[in-house]
Amino acid sequence: MQVRYTDALIIGGGLAGLRSAIASSKKGLDTIVLSLVPVKRSHSAAAQGGMQASLGNTIMGEGDNEDIHFEDTVKGSDWGCDQDVARMFVNTAPKAIRELASWGVPWNRIRKGDRDVVINAEPTTITEKEEAHGLINARDFGGTKKWRTCYTADATGHTMLYAVTNEAMKNNVQIEDKKEAISLISKDGQCFGAIVRDLKNGDLIAYVAKGTLIATGGYGRIYKQSTNATICKGTGHAIALEAGASMGNMEAIQFHPTPIVPSGILLTEGCRGDGGILRDKDGYRFMPDYEPEKKDLASRDVVSRRMLEHIKKGKGVPSPYGDHLWLDISILGREHIEKNLRDVRDISMTFNGIDPADEGKKGWMPVLPMQHYSMGGIRTTPKGESIDLKGLFSCGESACWDLHGFNRLGGNSVSETVVAGMIVGNYFSDYCTQTDISINTKVIHDALEKQQNYLLALLQKEGTESIYDIKDEMRIIMQNKVGIFRNGKDLAQAVEELKVLLQKSRNISIKNKNTHLNPELEEAYKVPMMLKVALCVAKGARDRTESRGAHYREDYLKRDDENWLKRTLSSWLHEDDLEPTLRYEPLDIMKMEMPPAFRGYGRKGFIIENPLSQKRQEEVDAIIKAHTGDRYALQEKLMPYTLQACYKSKNQRLGDEDE
Amino acid sequence: MSREITITALKYNPSDADSQPTFETYTLEETPGMTLYIALTKIKATIDHDLSSDFVCRAGICGACGMVVNGKPSLACKTLTSSFPEGKIDLLPLPTFPLIKDLSVDTGSWMQKMNIRVNSWIVANEPTDISKIEKRISPDVADEVFELDRCIECGLCVASCSTSLMKEDFVGAVGLSRIARFSIDPYDSRTDEDFYELIGDDDGIFGCMSLLACEDHCPKELPLQTKIAYMRRKMVMV
Amino acid sequence: MSQNDIIESITGKTVQKKKSKIPARLDLLQSISGLFLALFIVFHLIFESSILLGKESMYSLTKMFEADFIIEGGSPLIISMLAIIISILFVFHAFLAMRKFPRSYREHLRLKTHAKMLKHTDTNLWILQITTGFMLFFLGAIHLYTMMSQPQNIGPYASSDRIYTDLMWAMYLLLLVSVVLHTGAGVYRLIIKWGIFDGKNPRRNRILSKNIIKAVVVFYLFIGLYSLATYMKIGYEHKDNYGERYHSTSEVNHAS
Ligand SMILES: Cc1cc2nc3c(=O)[nH]c(=O)nc-3n(C[C@H](O)[C@H](O)[C@H](O)COP(=O)(O)OP(=O)(O)OC[C@H]3O[C@@H](n4cnc5c(N)ncnc54)[C@H](O)[C@@H]3O)c2cc1C
Ligand code: HEM
Ligand code: HEM
Ligand code: SF4
Ligand code: F3S
Ligand code: FES
Repeated sequence: MQVRYTDALIIGGGLAGLRSAIASSKKGLDTIVLSLVPVKRSHSAAAQGGMQASLGNTIMGEGDNEDIHFEDTVKGSDWGCDQDVARMFVNTAPKAIRELASWGVPWNRIRKGDRDVVINAEPTTITEKEEAHGLINARDFGGTKKWRTCYTADATGHTMLYAVTNEAMKNNVQIEDKKEAISLISKDGQCFGAIVRDLKNGDLIAYVAKGTLIATGGYGRIYKQSTNATICKGTGHAIALEAGASMGNMEAIQFHPTPIVPSGILLTEGCRGDGGILRDKDGYRFMPDYEPEKKDLASRDVVSRRMLEHIKKGKGVPSPYGDHLWLDISILGREHIEKNLRDVRDISMTFNGIDPADEGKKGWMPVLPMQHYSMGGIRTTPKGESIDLKGLFSCGESACWDLHGFNRLGGNSVSETVVAGMIVGNYFSDYCTQTDISINTKVIHDALEKQQNYLLALLQKEGTESIYDIKDEMRIIMQNKVGIFRNGKDLAQAVEELKVLLQKSRNISIKNKNTHLNPELEEAYKVPMMLKVALCVAKGARDRTESRGAHYREDYLKRDDENWLKRTLSSWLHEDDLEPTLRYEPLDIMKMEMPPAFRGYGRKGFIIENPLSQKRQEEVDAIIKAHTGDRYALQEKLMPYTLQACYKSKNQRLGDEDE
Repeated sequence: MSREITITALKYNPSDADSQPTFETYTLEETPGMTLYIALTKIKATIDHDLSSDFVCRAGICGACGMVVNGKPSLACKTLTSSFPEGKIDLLPLPTFPLIKDLSVDTGSWMQKMNIRVNSWIVANEPTDISKIEKRISPDVADEVFELDRCIECGLCVASCSTSLMKEDFVGAVGLSRIARFSIDPYDSRTDEDFYELIGDDDGIFGCMSLLACEDHCPKELPLQTKIAYMRRKMVMV
Repeated sequence: MSQNDIIESITGKTVQKKKSKIPARLDLLQSISGLFLALFIVFHLIFESSILLGKESMYSLTKMFEADFIIEGGSPLIISMLAIIISILFVFHAFLAMRKFPRSYREHLRLKTHAKMLKHTDTNLWILQITTGFMLFFLGAIHLYTMMSQPQNIGPYASSDRIYTDLMWAMYLLLLVSVVLHTGAGVYRLIIKWGIFDGKNPRRNRILSKNIIKAVVVFYLFIGLYSLATYMKIGYEHKDNYGERYHSTSEVNHAS
């Protein structure tokens, strides 16, 4: 029996996992990070566009601060987020970005003087101030009032991930790649580590830890078409689910407007942020018709739906892969594209043979909305601890501490991973420091043996089903019935069909009987996990009879604050269950700093209001009116929140004293 | 319109005593815009469930899928099958890196060792106060650092370099460019003497024989030629 | 043996706990020795090709090297001295370069198969360089020994006799080809290695450097082969008078 003991076990080596690992290693804890792939290949590396933080350096971000970032985030979430968490987040984000700069992220810097940009398809000149020269620059992104998205060309996630990994190595974090957690070790509501499969030789190893943190990213691969990497399968969610942890808002899935057709590789939102526009088959720019104010840069859920709406009107461009629309960045000019959107150009040239810098129609890239991000995940407290399982923490895309509610803003996600890594990472290390575990070796032994037997049983199955077919079917069901436009009938069908698939997955046969390095065996244990995650998504969506953020029901068009201002919690009560059990957790309007209202984009008048919203708004207005003093004190009055002192301190900006 | 292509791949599992290295040939229908990622995924799902290879981002940005394609170390996910007019594609695992199975190699451990060996992180004399305005950096310097930070650790430079192939401990172009990257980063306070301690030997900068296969195979087109020369000039002056 | 050396050989660090500076020096010296040898060859082959302009030109050039403008009649000793200096440089350079040779069968095999599959010009160029370098080691040694030991036997007839009647032409042919190729590849490497000709567009300048060097190599091969042919011709015509020395036309005039 192979057993390894450590203080802190972190499953997932993306931005969130590694930043947390630095936090715990800095506290002197023996820290291990596990990852399916070399950590620098984690999906965080794919983030192109940028990271939001209200530095307010660029002239177009002037006057930006935590309050505006907070407002954008809450509106973006369609009031589904936890506003305490949003506050913790916006206050820490500028610190995160400055920390990253000191760890080597070569953020694009401001050059004083005139700069030509394209705003709203119009070439415009902006003038950066002398005193901002050399400070961190920002670009425009969807759903934000200010230019707030800091970037390194279009490889932001990559440079961030490299800097954080390097820092982790410097801090002696033990990084072990090609190691997959396939179940958690838990007993009596407490988590003690994980059973891990070594993907280099197929060995099973028990990792026993005082605290375990899951940062395994998203689960986009349950869909047929997704911008996510091939490893984003949600196995991290599945092992937590199986160990008794609840998932939050799994139905909240974001679809990105501009992946390229047919490969599904993402073209960053930075394309539109920098001034690129969407066109239909007639070359017509249609977004201003639907969204006069934010146009091509309304939030992602809105743009994606508008695009499909427009295609349904017969304005899509026909192709062998179905109808699509065009993304035009050629108007930005070759120089800008070759410098700031180099990867985009590279992708378009390699995979589609289109040079987007070519003027006119020749340079337009075919795009269609596809699955992109999972807002939902392992439900945790604002400290990042699972609400059900002691000693289990989670942060990053895999978690639902609930920053994004039903839609996350572009640039808020990589920002979240690092911020959560800082905040949750600290709480997690505190937990590991304070906890002493005593666990019977028999528990470990049993957990290990159970997995061993499970894998052997899979190999010996003599069923009739093929695991590859099951996977394909699942992905098509999710694509067609749990997609951007949802309705009760399709969703109900989806749930039933997925249940059948889960059943079938227990009746497969595997050709290759090898226990180690057997790709077919890997599919055989992963697909049922994916199915469980898919079922949480489909069932949550079926039962949520309203439209909120990215969750859009054709049969319930309105956002229903009266009945649905609550979080879906799904859990898997018994091993043999074929579907999750749902319950709900209400959001308290009377504690909100920003009570529910119209987002400012999307359809007007499509809200079933909760009377409390009005009431709370009046309270808030009264507090604001009576308030004297600065905005920090006001915020404290409106909605006090807890955050580690080192992160709660004020963020200095240009013009603030003692620079 | 569509044609048949044949893909030949090395199959071998070194951890299995019974495994015999062989070349396996697969024939399949080419589809428009087919990449080796699409082709291999199809082979794995329909013809040979046992074929191993590494793909993560399938978009040419994570560096996972390096393999030798018709003799050239390449990123498989970025290689279009249509770029081979004969329709014959030979695949081998990347050399230099330990073989895991078939086309899958262990780049992770190699890169981690290299990163630790060259201390590939910022070393600063003074701590940064993260609630204060950040240090100012000239936009040009930031761009220059970024240019080198674009490396995706795919290992193609290492796999194409004869020096790496012969000398196991050679840090490779990836390691040397990393040092160049930190030496121009204003946040890093290390001096040339400090860098000499890391790469001033025959497994470091003086091991490189300027073969430039690295430069010619780097999928990110990093300026390896000039940066290695730059580091060499600096290091002989120390 | 000094204790410092023992410490360094075991720990990899000098007593100051620093890395040795020797590798840096060796790398630089390798290039410098190569550069000097290259410069020598560049002039040497030009001087040698003076035979193309006639026996007289070669003769006077030889005498000039023997410093006949200072010493009456010229002294072959000077040639010997030069040969010794060059030999030292030669051995030194070869010694440094040898560190880069594939050392074991495994390294050799890996290099060979790799280069075959890769089809990469610069890698092949390097293989050419070590192969020619290896050849030079022997051929150069023979030639240098001759020049050191018989400095007096240089001249239009003496050289031609050696090449034709003494059957040295085969050796010279190989020597010529290998030294020109080796020097060409070596100088290109120097340019790349130290970034001498990076300019604004290093990628373009790399191609440019390669093309210029190619042209120069062709030029040198041409004049080298042509001279060798000329020596052969003279040697053939002179075979019956083997051993006879050439006398300058001016000397002959003088005597009469
Ligand atoms: C194409 C694309 C572009 C994006 N662009 C942006 C952007 O511009 N701005 C922005 O803010 N956000 C962007 N995002 C979102 C953002 O990149 C991700 O949400 C974020 O990086 C997730 O980070 P993470 O650390 O939570 O997870 P990841 O980076 O996905 O890391 C997950 C880690 O978990 C490991 N893992 C998974 N399962 C297991 C297991 N069972 N056992 C062991 N290890 C496991 C993996 O190996 C990996 O190391 C983008 C996303 C995509 C898909
Ligand atoms: C007159 C004879 C020679 C000349 C003009 C010459 C010239 C050069 C030059 C200019 C270089 C490039 C230096 C560098 O890379 O730093 C070089 C490299 C080299 N030389 Fe020579 N050389 C000569 C003889 C030899 C001999 C006899 C050998 C063989 C033992 C040899 C082997 C090499 C090798 C292997 C290299 C490559 C070293 C490397 O790439 O680092 N050379 N030579
Ligand atoms: C100081 C030392 C040297 C002297 C005095 C010298 C002299 C000569 C002379 C006199 C010849 C004419 C042929 C002969 O007389 O045999 C010759 C030819 C030649 N030497 Fe040298 N040489 C020297 C060093 C070298 C070295 C180091 C090399 C290369 C490694 C070299 C390469 C050649 C070649 C290739 C030829 C043939 C030229 C041709 O065919 O045109 N020589 N040398
Ligand atoms: S330098 Fe280029 S080839 Fe080498 S690892 Fe980095 S990206 Fe790959
Ligand atoms: S190929 Fe190798 S020898 Fe140097 S120039 Fe590149 S690292
Ligand atoms: S799979 Fe990421 S580079 Fe090919």
